[in-house]
Amino acid sequence: MSIVARLPRPPSDRVEEESPEPPALLIRGRHAPSPEERSLSEEILTEFRADPRSSEFVLGCLNCGECTSGCPAARFYDFSPREMVQVAIHADAPTLWDAMQEKIWACCQCYSCTMRCRFGNDIGGIISVMRELSVRHGLDSARKTLAPFGRTFRLLTTVGTQISPDMIQPEFFRDWGPAATRLDETWGVPLEVLRKAIPIDVLRTTRAAWEVSVQTSLELFRIYEETGVLDMLRGVDPDLVEMLVDLVDERRGEFEEAKRRFQLPKAEPAGPSSSSPG
Amino acid sequence: MMDTDSLRTLVERNAASRGGPGKRFPDLRAEMERLEERGELIIHRIRPENRAVEVRNLVGGTKRIPTDRLWHHKSCGQCGNIPGYPSSLLWLMNETGRSYLNEPHQTSCTAWNYHGTGTSNPVALAAVAARNFHRAYETDHFPLIHCGTSFGDYKEMRRLLVENEDVRHKVRDVLRRLGRELVLPEEIVHYSEWVHVMAPEIVARKVHNVDGIVTAVHEPCHYYKMVPEDAVYDPHFFGGQRPAVPSAIVMALGAKVADYSTWYDCCGFGFRHILAEREFSRSFANLRKIRPMVEEAHADVAITSDTGCVTTLDKSQWIGKAHGFSYSLPILSDVEFVALALGAHPYKIVQVHWHTTCVEGLMTKMGIDWKSAKEEFREYLERLKNGAAPDNLYPPRDEIERYFAINKGPVMPDPEGVGPASLPAPSNAKGGSP
Amino acid sequence: MNPILVIGAGPAGLSAAAELADLGAPTLLVERERYLGGNPTRWRYSMLVPDLKPTEEVLGGLLRKVETDPRIERRLSTIATKAEAAGKGYRVTLRTDATEETREVSAVVVATGFEHFDSRRKFEYGYGRFPDVLDFKELEGMITDDRIVRPSDGKAPRRIAWILCVGSRDIQVGNTWCCRLGCAVSIKQAVEVRKRHPEIEAYVYYMDIRTYGLWERLYWDAMQEFGVKFIRGRVGHITLAEDGKRLLASGEDTILSRPTEIPFDMIVLASGMEPGAGTTEAARLFGLTVGPEGFLAPRMADLNPIDSGVQGVFYAGAATGPKAIVDSVTEGMGAALRAFRYARG
Repeated sequence: MSIVARLPRPPSDRVEEESPEPPALLIRGRHAPSPEERSLSEEILTEFRADPRSSEFVLGCLNCGECTSGCPAARFYDFSPREMVQVAIHADAPTLWDAMQEKIWACCQCYSCTMRCRFGNDIGGIISVMRELSVRHGLDSARKTLAPFGRTFRLLTTVGTQISPDMIQPEFFRDWGPAATRLDETWGVPLEVLRKAIPIDVLRTTRAAWEVSVQTSLELFRIYEETGVLDMLRGVDPDLVEMLVDLVDERRGEFEEAKRRFQLPKAEPAGPSSSSPG
Repeated sequence: MMDTDSLRTLVERNAASRGGPGKRFPDLRAEMERLEERGELIIHRIRPENRAVEVRNLVGGTKRIPTDRLWHHKSCGQCGNIPGYPSSLLWLMNETGRSYLNEPHQTSCTAWNYHGTGTSNPVALAAVAARNFHRAYETDHFPLIHCGTSFGDYKEMRRLLVENEDVRHKVRDVLRRLGRELVLPEEIVHYSEWVHVMAPEIVARKVHNVDGIVTAVHEPCHYYKMVPEDAVYDPHFFGGQRPAVPSAIVMALGAKVADYSTWYDCCGFGFRHILAEREFSRSFANLRKIRPMVEEAHADVAITSDTGCVTTLDKSQWIGKAHGFSYSLPILSDVEFVALALGAHPYKIVQVHWHTTCVEGLMTKMGIDWKSAKEEFREYLERLKNGAAPDNLYPPRDEIERYFAINKGPVMPDPEGVGPASLPAPSNAKGGSP
Repeated sequence: MNPILVIGAGPAGLSAAAELADLGAPTLLVERERYLGGNPTRWRYSMLVPDLKPTEEVLGGLLRKVETDPRIERRLSTIATKAEAAGKGYRVTLRTDATEETREVSAVVVATGFEHFDSRRKFEYGYGRFPDVLDFKELEGMITDDRIVRPSDGKAPRRIAWILCVGSRDIQVGNTWCCRLGCAVSIKQAVEVRKRHPEIEAYVYYMDIRTYGLWERLYWDAMQEFGVKFIRGRVGHITLAEDGKRLLASGEDTILSRPTEIPFDMIVLASGMEPGAGTTEAARLFGLTVGPEGFLAPRMADLNPIDSGVQGVFYAGAATGPKAIVDSVTEGMGAALRAFRYARG
């Protein structure tokens, strides 16, 4: 459209125009939502406001900055907890969208801000809410964040711990130095033997932090299923979830086989536990 | 230091202004009792068998720390990368004759994943917490939380479950489908609090002199910044203005605790950053923590009491050489330091070789003959490589427990005579399909 | 008539007693400390706001009048332990260490004042452990003596910071209200220091500057004439600085939106006002309404802070909330008049 056509017309010529865009807090931010993303950003804002934690965790703000004084991320990133609280209070859809791209992931979740907030806000908490929302909606920023954690998720759902000794691979943890990644070379024995040398039986594995019983790991998976965590993950990485479900099915098979081997009775119907000690 | 009367007034004033209904820090205990009366949950109570010791918290209230018949709630990062951490703790319990149960029937708290990625939700976190609490309850051992993040998370989950009926009911439903009930322990106890109250017995067993050791203590964020009223404060340490844990045990052993300008700073773990944005974690750790600890506090060792903090401060130093930081400050958890001071084998028990910073220098200062110990350990590794059975801190479990969470008695013989025979028999029905 | 009881001999109580004496009313002034004058005497306030006149000049006349006027019966080191309605007035039990007596009074003025927040409760500031972290009451004494030195090594400070709102507007320590005076008093102190020692740098860390009404002049003069520097942001914690000698104040400069750490030789805390033990006790004795913050709640706070709503009892001063001395003195006069008219019938 030529610039002449965009000049404001004198009032007498003005015809009924579409109502103008409401002024945005974020006029042209780094991560303003594109026109296609606009309605998603509004959906997210509505959900954010509807989450009961929004009003519980953010009560108001004196802009005192004490939260930022202890924030590790504020020293290194274009981020501050005070900014996050202000976003939570005032945000319109584009501002919240912008914050949910990079800023919320700068937070170290140390809760220094929450401990100190003079007004009683839970700032680390509201940032977690924003993160949950971003994962639930499968935002690209969430996808990027989750990428390195695929392994953690696999471990959690299949063996029940977040870490395993065999994940400290030299290529991935080069900056931790050879003492961390090449312990086997230092001592001239495989990692399995080094784990065997730990005087705690459940730690003698390289595939999990400690050996979790199959029943227990299946309980954790069940919890994740029933509380919607798997669904959250599906939104971001459906292939991963498919793989996890297959792996867990194998575990279930292992479990049933073990029941046969140890001659255990069939499953009890669901109900309150009957074995609570007095 | 203040006189006793001023101190008492101060503490009472604090408690009055901070605690109570409608105040910043609500009293959950009363509400928990009410919920139990209504049948909404079961409180896992501390009993005389747990030999609890009282300490004070931020608002001058009391907290009870059970010291016996404990259920170890392990830490992923410790067991995975710093195995000397749990090993030192269990060794200490053996040395002081405390009984415990360490079993495969515990899940991760999942909080590191949550803080790192946001991929969970309050109901899931609370259900995981409650599931582990129920397991501890059915084994009749009181849960002891190893990780600072688990501790902070579980304190929050307790509050959530007590205050939010919707979440509580959802969690209870999920648990019932697993054949479990909603249980909340009377106290959420961190292992460093156990170490703290065991100070007299620990000091009595000291073998090596640490009087000349200067330490810098790093206070883990999640120990005292989440649900801050529930952390140990003691007027004899820092005038009650900083948590007593873990500084008190270091001082009790005779080592010095030196102050530095960034005492309150986080270590830079970041939960997400330590994996996915490590430039931040290592920059922060070196610039904001390691450098002041070395250049201001002149520390021989940094002591901390959380998994993530040990990991960050320990693992971030090697790369510092690329920027001219060649500090190599050993980082130890409180229990590892204590175990070394009490004569634990540096490699077989304290497993110092999993640390990337060099602990040998510190051990020399402590008068520990680590060279012989290292040789012994090499020989042990050879034997293990050739198929020898490994040593264990407690009788290892039967194979059935790789699969099923059966009930089990205490590991250590109980001098009071409340042995396995008087516990409920292993219930095979617990092996029901999830 | 029976005497009119004035509980508390701070500025409000002194003012009420002096006014009552001038009205010809027999007055019974009860004070728990060994001296008259309340907090200004106790903490040796040096100069008052807004005109920065010395305390002695402002309150000296009032003090001397109350000390010497024969119509005022003074009871020092005395507290009231019991009160029951007796006709229109009250029967009150007064106790000292050695004696106990019961008196009939025709009306009561409650002028029990406030206590300063104990800064040790703001843990992150290290008050009580770092000798060079001072409460601003302590600085008052130093200014009066013109001996401004670091307690740790006796050296003169080159840079001092004042932190406002310590123990105020802070749910973490349980006090959510504003102390009304922290801004004015801290800025006054910064001005006094700069006046006498222009070589000392003065910084004020603030969240808001509440130099109300005509006191705003103090804030402008502090900047224009005395070069006091203001940083908008509260301090999160105080630790030892790198040199092990100075103190590091960590906060956020909220205007520049970044964390800030500045080393200081001395840090002064503007500690707030809390309901004093005397105020709480008076509420118990006379069945007075206490507001959610713990101060006495007047019958209609929108109208005046003097009428309590309880028969024969009137309020003056910081017992009803943070107050400046000028307000306490004024309310003392008002309470005296009210009490006198009530007692006279």
